[in-house]
Amino acid sequence: MTDGPRDATEREWELFRRASVEGPLTHVGSVTAPSAPVAYEQAATLFPEAADLWLCPADETRRYASEALGARAKGDEDGTDEGGMADGDRKGTVPEPSEVDA
Amino acid sequence: MISLSKLLCETAAAGDGLRYGDPSDVPQITEEKQRRPVVVWNVTRGCNLACQHCYASAEAERADGELSTAEGKRLLDDLAEYGVPVVLFSGGEPLVRDDLTELVAYARERGIRPVLSTNGTLLTPDRARALRDAGLAYAGVSVDGLATANDTFRGREGAFDAAVRGIEACLDVGLKTGLRYTVTERTVDDLEGVVDLLHDVGVDRFCFYHLDYGGRGGDIVDADLNPERRREVVRRLCDLTREYHADGSPIETLLVGNYADGGFVVEYARDELGDEAAERIYAALRRNGGDPAGDRVADIDYHGNVHPTQFWQGYALGNVRDRPFGAIWEDESNPLLARLRDRELSGKCVDCCYRDICGGGSPLRSLTVHGDPLAPDPQCYLTEAERRGEPPVAVPEPTAEPGD
Repeated sequence: MTDGPRDATEREWELFRRASVEGPLTHVGSVTAPSAPVAYEQAATLFPEAADLWLCPADETRRYASEALGARAKGDEDGTDEGGMADGDRKGTVPEPSEVDA
Repeated sequence: MISLSKLLCETAAAGDGLRYGDPSDVPQITEEKQRRPVVVWNVTRGCNLACQHCYASAEAERADGELSTAEGKRLLDDLAEYGVPVVLFSGGEPLVRDDLTELVAYARERGIRPVLSTNGTLLTPDRARALRDAGLAYAGVSVDGLATANDTFRGREGAFDAAVRGIEACLDVGLKTGLRYTVTERTVDDLEGVVDLLHDVGVDRFCFYHLDYGGRGGDIVDADLNPERRREVVRRLCDLTREYHADGSPIETLLVGNYADGGFVVEYARDELGDEAAERIYAALRRNGGDPAGDRVADIDYHGNVHPTQFWQGYALGNVRDRPFGAIWEDESNPLLARLRDRELSGKCVDCCYRDICGGGSPLRSLTVHGDPLAPDPQCYLTEAERRGEPPVAVPEPTAEPGD
């Protein structure tokens, strides 16, 4: 899984768009916003033509990626990582949205 | 970026091949790599200063879950495999990461040109030497005024003196070093004084940034220059560049972040240097293209989010923890990314004669002010007469008739 923090200042929202009601829902990135209504407002500005927009809190999303960076970062397994934080460190320290400066 | 020195004084530097496709004796970044974006990598949120205009909204502490050393190396592998020519290590303040030198060396090893954006205050002689030995190609040091104005703007007393010491440390070890200066009403009065002072120190590259409205930059829009003031400043920078060159000091000067500069420089050249120079400059700027957001420049933040430009941190195209950078960058099923590349402009940009060398300007400023990233850039300072004029077009040389 690739569920590290996605933003440190405000909450991150994964954004899904449907171009028409008959079409598929596709991921079109993410927006940073303190709340779902604000995130929707931003998303609607960026994708004004969308029929549907769905928002999912990034920290509530479980990602099972075939090309995840962590799985490809060999150094994480052999203890050579000295400058950043290992996966184990960061999973327990995901900031709650209410604790993050806006 | 628009190189005033290249355009007005016809001097070449290593990045000019990326901008203008202009072969010269200066080694250039290869044509194959010109098709890929320059990537800004904000390696950390942490910073020892608190700048009023920080687009990254940096804070004193590093963020939880920043890309680790190993993840960073794998990211650099991805970028190298995709053909990214340059990675600009930025922040926050990148020197707060102890592994910065290791990452710079790895980028160099993978064939990427590593460059640095720093506030300079942590550049000790030892770190400057280590970065040089790691293969760092260039250090851009941000200074936004002489001591009083800079320290107020950048949020720490003593920051100016420390930055100058950092610049001197880089120059002492032979590391190419330049100035990065954001021009606002709070900094503009010291601009020439800083250029003169740093030139005396040994700096020969000066980059002048227009304010973009990302992060804390969006909180100081009231400090942005008005159009008349901006015209005065850019004209003065054109004159200053030519004066230095005329005095035998071929400094490199660049404008960053507002592609209306291109039209202004063409008009300046037409007035000061004549039609032939204006034609040459216009042609060079057309080859360069306009605003690079979402196309020639990309940003990856400390959590791996990919942004259309470093200033636009509030929207991400994807995250390199999930998907390789190249896959994110190539995915034009995202209609916003496709729009940024197509640049179907609106409003006064539609019939502007300089639209091809501007691209409508900063989409972030347009989004911030107009709610539409492809609306006209609110920072455009060209006059209506300039926008509605005729761009200079080179008249083809007459071809010799057979038998001549």
